[in-house]
Amino acid sequence: MPIVQLDQIRKQYGTKVAVEGLSLNIEPGSMFGLLGPNGSGKTSTIRMMIGMTVPDSGGVSLFGQPFSRQHLARVGFLPEERGLYKKMKVLDQLVFLGRLHGLDAATAKSRSVAWCERLQIADTLQKKTEELSKGMQQKIQFIAALLHDPDLIIMDEPFSGLDPVNAQLLMDVLIDQRTQGKAILFSTHRMDQVERFCDSIALLSRGKLLLSGSMREIKSMYPRNRVEMIFTGDESFLDHPSVESYRLYEDGAELKLHEGKESRCVLRHALEHGTDIVRFEVMEPTLEEIFIEHVKASFGDADNGGAVDA
Amino acid sequence: MHNILLIARREYFERVRTKGFLLATVLIPLVMGTLIFGSMMLMATSKTQSHVAIVTSNQSFGTEMKQQLEGGQQAQMKVDLFAPSDAIRTQLNAQLHAKDSTLAGFLWVTPGTTPEARPDVAYSARSAGDIATANALQDALRAVLMRERLTAHGLTTGDIDQLTAPVKIDTSASGDSGAAFLAAYMLFFLMYMVIMLYGMNTARSIIDEKTSRIFEVLLATIQPEQLLAGKILGVGAVGLTQISVWMLAAFAFAGSGLSPALASHGHPLITLSQIGFFILYFLFGFLIYSSIAAALGAMTNSEQELQQLNMFLVIPLVFCMVMIFPIMRAPDSTLARVASLIPFCSPLLMNFRISLTHVPAWEIWLSIGLMTATIAAILSFSARVYRVGILMYGKKPTLPEIVRWMRYS
Repeated sequence: MPIVQLDQIRKQYGTKVAVEGLSLNIEPGSMFGLLGPNGSGKTSTIRMMIGMTVPDSGGVSLFGQPFSRQHLARVGFLPEERGLYKKMKVLDQLVFLGRLHGLDAATAKSRSVAWCERLQIADTLQKKTEELSKGMQQKIQFIAALLHDPDLIIMDEPFSGLDPVNAQLLMDVLIDQRTQGKAILFSTHRMDQVERFCDSIALLSRGKLLLSGSMREIKSMYPRNRVEMIFTGDESFLDHPSVESYRLYEDGAELKLHEGKESRCVLRHALEHGTDIVRFEVMEPTLEEIFIEHVKASFGDADNGGAVDA
Repeated sequence: MHNILLIARREYFERVRTKGFLLATVLIPLVMGTLIFGSMMLMATSKTQSHVAIVTSNQSFGTEMKQQLEGGQQAQMKVDLFAPSDAIRTQLNAQLHAKDSTLAGFLWVTPGTTPEARPDVAYSARSAGDIATANALQDALRAVLMRERLTAHGLTTGDIDQLTAPVKIDTSASGDSGAAFLAAYMLFFLMYMVIMLYGMNTARSIIDEKTSRIFEVLLATIQPEQLLAGKILGVGAVGLTQISVWMLAAFAFAGSGLSPALASHGHPLITLSQIGFFILYFLFGFLIYSSIAAALGAMTNSEQELQQLNMFLVIPLVFCMVMIFPIMRAPDSTLARVASLIPFCSPLLMNFRISLTHVPAWEIWLSIGLMTATIAAILSFSARVYRVGILMYGKKPTLPEIVRWMRYS
């Protein structure tokens, strides 16, 4: 039973169509990436998922049932634009938000303390939000989204503005949640951040679904024709007929092979040239590349490739 | 309901726990009290104390004027008497313009041509703006002339005192319209103050939440209607707390000082049922006006925009104030009945009518029903505007847009 099921949803604001005929499923115990450039309809989609707006047409189901507000107690949401009460103490704030999600005061309190300890911000519990750094505020908001132990966790741009150490800390928490069978939805335009973790993705552009499916399927649809090499010595082997183009760096090169050509030939060729190879890696296409390729195709090349701010 | 109360609780404690609330609760009545008492003290002691000169050939008239002005109820002046002559006129004129003289003005009385005719009186003052002195002189003149004429007609001093004594009417049998008027006035100002302070506070806290974007988290679990209702209740409770503190303090204060005065009046100024209606209509009034404020907050994105719209709060209040006068004259007229049923006016006008006349129960129930419906309608309107407004964040809606938003879900 999918946790989220969107069926041909459509939303229009005035003359602007925000989401058009979008369908997707999110399974329990998975991480789902909702990807797309700014303004592609990610936030509108999420808002329809949590009942902030109602789709003009199409259906939203949560936990296998048509949407109803009761389900919201099982959803945790981290909005893209962070917001907390500035004058309120962290603990009070978390307890308040926990109670809004149906927890009683005592549970909300003990869980808040436990979470703050886990995320290494226990010393902030009695401070006012306005005294905290951006990163700490973000952690608090993150805790607020998880406090009621939701089965569906929606994270809109979760790592923007976080340093790598803290981003990793939060990611570990989310991976842990996935192991517990929770469904996690990422909405982001920073694909590199979620690429390693997402089980499935949906690529949106201008409110329409460009591409969706499991990460494995999508990646296998694309040729593995990029090679990254680190070497010293002769570089003339790069003029091999299988190599379509290459970019030379200080300590190596990035190669793009003609479609259907084996990377092996290039490696052999290089070894024959007596080049000292430190690393030879056949790269998978990154999500970002797949994304850019698709978005460009959907916009039409001349139109605006530059509008893609991924 | 659970969520509404949670929101209300948070809003309430956030405000009540601030030092600002404590300061306002203590300082506002202190400042107001000082001002009122100060002005009352000033009024009481501010008998005209100017130094004037009276020039008259009529010795007894001069002496009586002097008595009236130096020992009168309103005046404690210093009066010099002179017989008319050109030398005196020059001297007094010089004194009027001299810097070191205290003379505020002089009164030149020329007796009438016949004994019955009134004398001609001219007053030269140092400053044309010294109205108090001129008024005191005028009052004294009228009193003295009247006494003179009455004495001339053979009345004794006792008769004259009896004739000129003020008349008192006892209204204890039918209720005191003065007290009702006072209560309406008090209600109006209380209401005005609380709406301006806390109604706008409701609007502001909605705008705050929009700028801090916390609403995104809140709306993920609760509905905008609940959020707005919670805010109105929470902020309203703060206002009511403050008002109750003030009222209790006022009663405690007045109870000690004023109760003998009230008891001697023969009947209580305000009856218990009047107090009940006062509280009921005050609550409804507060809810109606703060839900308008919530709608304004939902429509705007900044405090400046809000300022431009706060006339929507003031105009209905002013309308009520204007209606008070015709209603006072005819509390059972059709105009009065219709006006007091308008939901925005009921809190003030219906309550006012109740204290003046016997209002049929159905009218009271109707007004309560209408007010409840209005509050619900405004709330659902604002919730709609709020929800659509934040989705189109960053832009002030035009009227046609708001109308169109009503059709969005």
